Amino acid sequence: VAAPDLDLLQGTLDLLILKTLTWGPRHGYAVASWIRETTDQRLQIEEGALYTALHRMEKRAWLESEWGLSENNRKAKYYQLTAAGRKQLRAKTALWTEYAGAVFKVLETC
Amino acid sequence: MPRIPGLRRLVRIERDGAGIDRAVDDELQFHFDMTMRDLVANGMTPDDARREAQRRFGDVDATRERLTTIDRSLVGRERRAAWRSAFAQDFRYAVRGWRLKPGFAIAVILTLGLGIGANATMFGIVDRLLFRPPNYLVASDRVARVFLVRTSNGKESPSDYTGYKRYTDLRNWTSSFDVMTPFYVSSKPFGTGESTKELQVGISGADLWKMFDVHPVIGRFFTADEDIPPGGQRVAVLSYAFWQTQFGGRKDVVGAKIDLGPDKYTVIGVAPKRFNGLGTTPVVAFVPISAAAPQMSPTVHWYDTYNMNWFPVFARRKPGVLKQTADADLSVAYRRSYLAQAAINTGSTPIDIAKPRAYAGPLLRDRGPNESSSAKVATWLVGVAGIVLLIACANVANLLLARALKRRREIAVRIALGVSRSRLLMQLVTESVLLALLGGVAGLAIAQWGGAVMRRALISDMDVPSALGDSRILFFCMGLALLTGLLTGLAPALHAAREDVAAALKAGAREGTVQRSRVRGGLLIGQAALSVVLLVGAGLFVRSLSNVQHVRLGYDADRILYADFNYRGIKLDSAQEVALRQRMLARAQSLPGVEHATRNLTTPFWSDWEWELHVAGIDSVDKLGEFPLQAGTPDFFATMGTRIIRGRGIDLEDRAGAPRVMVVSDAMGKIIWPHDDPIGKCVRMGADTNPCVTVVGIAEDVHRGKLSEVGFHYYLSIDQFAPAEGGLFIRTTGPADIQQERIRRALQQIMPGVSYVTVTPLSTIIGGETKSWRLGAIMFTIFGALALTLAAIGLYSVIAYTVVQRTHEMGVRVALGAQARDVISLILREGLKVVIPGVALGAIIALFAGKWIAPLLFDVSPKDPPVLVTVVVTLIAVAVAASWIPALRASRVDPNEALRAD
Repeated sequence: VAAPDLDLLQGTLDLLILKTLTWGPRHGYAVASWIRETTDQRLQIEEGALYTALHRMEKRAWLESEWGLSENNRKAKYYQLTAAGRKQLRAKTALWTEYAGAVFKVLETC
Repeated sequence: MPRIPGLRRLVRIERDGAGIDRAVDDELQFHFDMTMRDLVANGMTPDDARREAQRRFGDVDATRERLTTIDRSLVGRERRAAWRSAFAQDFRYAVRGWRLKPGFAIAVILTLGLGIGANATMFGIVDRLLFRPPNYLVASDRVARVFLVRTSNGKESPSDYTGYKRYTDLRNWTSSFDVMTPFYVSSKPFGTGESTKELQVGISGADLWKMFDVHPVIGRFFTADEDIPPGGQRVAVLSYAFWQTQFGGRKDVVGAKIDLGPDKYTVIGVAPKRFNGLGTTPVVAFVPISAAAPQMSPTVHWYDTYNMNWFPVFARRKPGVLKQTADADLSVAYRRSYLAQAAINTGSTPIDIAKPRAYAGPLLRDRGPNESSSAKVATWLVGVAGIVLLIACANVANLLLARALKRRREIAVRIALGVSRSRLLMQLVTESVLLALLGGVAGLAIAQWGGAVMRRALISDMDVPSALGDSRILFFCMGLALLTGLLTGLAPALHAAREDVAAALKAGAREGTVQRSRVRGGLLIGQAALSVVLLVGAGLFVRSLSNVQHVRLGYDADRILYADFNYRGIKLDSAQEVALRQRMLARAQSLPGVEHATRNLTTPFWSDWEWELHVAGIDSVDKLGEFPLQAGTPDFFATMGTRIIRGRGIDLEDRAGAPRVMVVSDAMGKIIWPHDDPIGKCVRMGADTNPCVTVVGIAEDVHRGKLSEVGFHYYLSIDQFAPAEGGLFIRTTGPADIQQERIRRALQQIMPGVSYVTVTPLSTIIGGETKSWRLGAIMFTIFGALALTLAAIGLYSVIAYTVVQRTHEMGVRVALGAQARDVISLILREGLKVVIPGVALGAIIALFAGKWIAPLLFDVSPKDPPVLVTVVVTLIAVAVAASWIPALRASRVDPNEALRAD
């Protein structure tokens, strides 16, 4: 079995993070928890990769970060979507939907 | 799911390396603490929770590293972007300001442009004279000019002129050098017939080419085999420029024959662009010394005599040989050579007295010890240009300060709104640096166009690149501009950034603005002082020049032409030489517009001829000084305008075969026969067994080699001494230079074959001697006037500004009954308060600096009272004039308006 396509996985992770942040600024732990809980822990995402993706997207200016206080009054780094990030999310969502649609089309024709 | 609280900014994102590491650690720590907390809350033991958190995260160290790398590049980019946008903002802000007030920007740019342009021009010249090695030279730190030093009258005098025999001695008897060659530039007639012109030719040994990293553009360079005395191969390497202009860059020029001097030379190659050999003068061709030298004298063996010295020798130390070692080596060789010479020339100074030594001196002639006075003046002018720039900077700083004061409230508002002071500082400095860079561009333009004129006046015969075509000048100019921008911008910026916000915001335009800035006063005092210094310098040089021009030379230079004969394609025997000269003299005497004509042997400031003299009762005439000789025909003294004090001049009877006669100069008669009448005395020439030459007259002293002092001199009848040598002096009825061309044509008609005559006004020859004073007078005056103008503008702008600031006060004064006169004198006093201390300071500096400039002056004390008084009066007059206009304006203040305003 070939290794899963990294680009695909990475693109997917970016997409999930961007989507998570549409509801407002969150710190990394909140993003990770939210993804885990929403997918009923079915997507095994390494959290290290998640943080790397956060920082990389910040560098690409899709996100911006700011230090704030967490719910239990601790210093935490919050990430927030930028306009460029929203644009990316729209583009990636469209791409993903199209891709998934194509895959399903193949699977349903038998 | 945690509730997301309202964001509160706690700290800025860390900007430095450690900060980035800490931030990543904090973020990850928070993540682990949260994960553990939630897991433990769900019932896990802490140990299990830690393991589970780590499993979920993956490789922590690798991730941390990846995160810091990403953040570092992010921060770097942000910082650059922030800087760029800040700069762009400052730039736009500055340009907007200039467009609103173009007068201000233009004034600043022009002021700095003048200052920078003056400096760039002087830098270009001095760089060429003193710093830049010849183009293409390799290991220039090991290449030296050989100086020979002899002691006479207890004084060492170094000379870089030597002869071929000496050169071969030094070459053969030293081991410290791997390359040694003569190199000199000589003017030679090029071409034939009407189109003949005098062009500069580089003459050297074949070693010349080894000193450079050069390859011929086409053909080849000459070799040692082609440069062997007594007569080398007549081959020529053309310069690139000459090849282009004269031969259109044609490849088939190799093998062509060219007429150079009396001979035909074969072109063997072309040197690369801008190759000038070891000199700074552009030349048309390079030829071997053994090909060019034989035409100098038909009788003396040029390669085998110590008595002709006409070129400098250049040598390159072997790698690893110390300069001291090389100097010692040279000295030993020179002493050996000196002894060899003494064995041939009996009567030369004993070696113990002459103490000959030699050393490898600076390659560039003007690095000394025998630098030209133009180079000295040029070095001074660098300082002068620097002062002009300082004054320009002070002016601009003043303008910027005035503006900073005007913008006091605006700046205070900006500080109150949270613009950081360092940001504000940067903005002000950005503006001044931008202005200065534009000033630098203006300066380059000035150096390019105006400088061309100055270069022609200063080093007309040198290959100096124009400002725009030379990277060294370009860099210098822009570096200077940058420095100037920082210098002028920083003071006002600091001043502005120190601003007390609350006070400035509270104050109206009137209140609190009447504050005299100590910085501005100081700048004005400095400007006035520097202007005084420059103007004193200008005055001293103008006086020197006028003194030089009024020196009684002992002959009427303005009325005399010098005619020289150049043979080509013919060989004359002595009888023919004599006959030709007599024909020429007769022809010259018969021309209309000619008063008198005489033959001559030597020319003042150009050539000398000395002969061993023996006088009864004096063991060595040589020890008394140098006695150059002249020889002429009966009209000699009438032609020159040299007065005979006693006795007679040269007569028709003093022809060949008659008893030999001599006329001595007054000074010479007094030093040789201090107690007796020289007339009737016997001088033996060459050896003390030779027949007497009888002194028959005493002539007034003349300046022959130095304008600053007269030398000893004596005159012979040319028919009795050297009938086959020399040229003509011709005295014209009016100024000589007008007649020059007409007389040249008339004489040319009777020259045999393709030989030709050159005719030069004596005043042109002497003009070269007065060049340094003329240069100093012109340049100091220009720079001094520039400085004075700048200082006057500076004073005017400050006083005018003060008047505007004090409008209210003036209104009150007028309302309380002050007369216009009172107001005017009040403002004038304001101006004089800074100018008078400045003038006093400048006068003191000028008096102290005077001793350094004294050697460059002619017959004027550096403390010359008329100059000082004139300058002081001028400066005060200018100060009054500059304050007058604002003072008048102040006196016309309408009290109603002034008090109602604001």
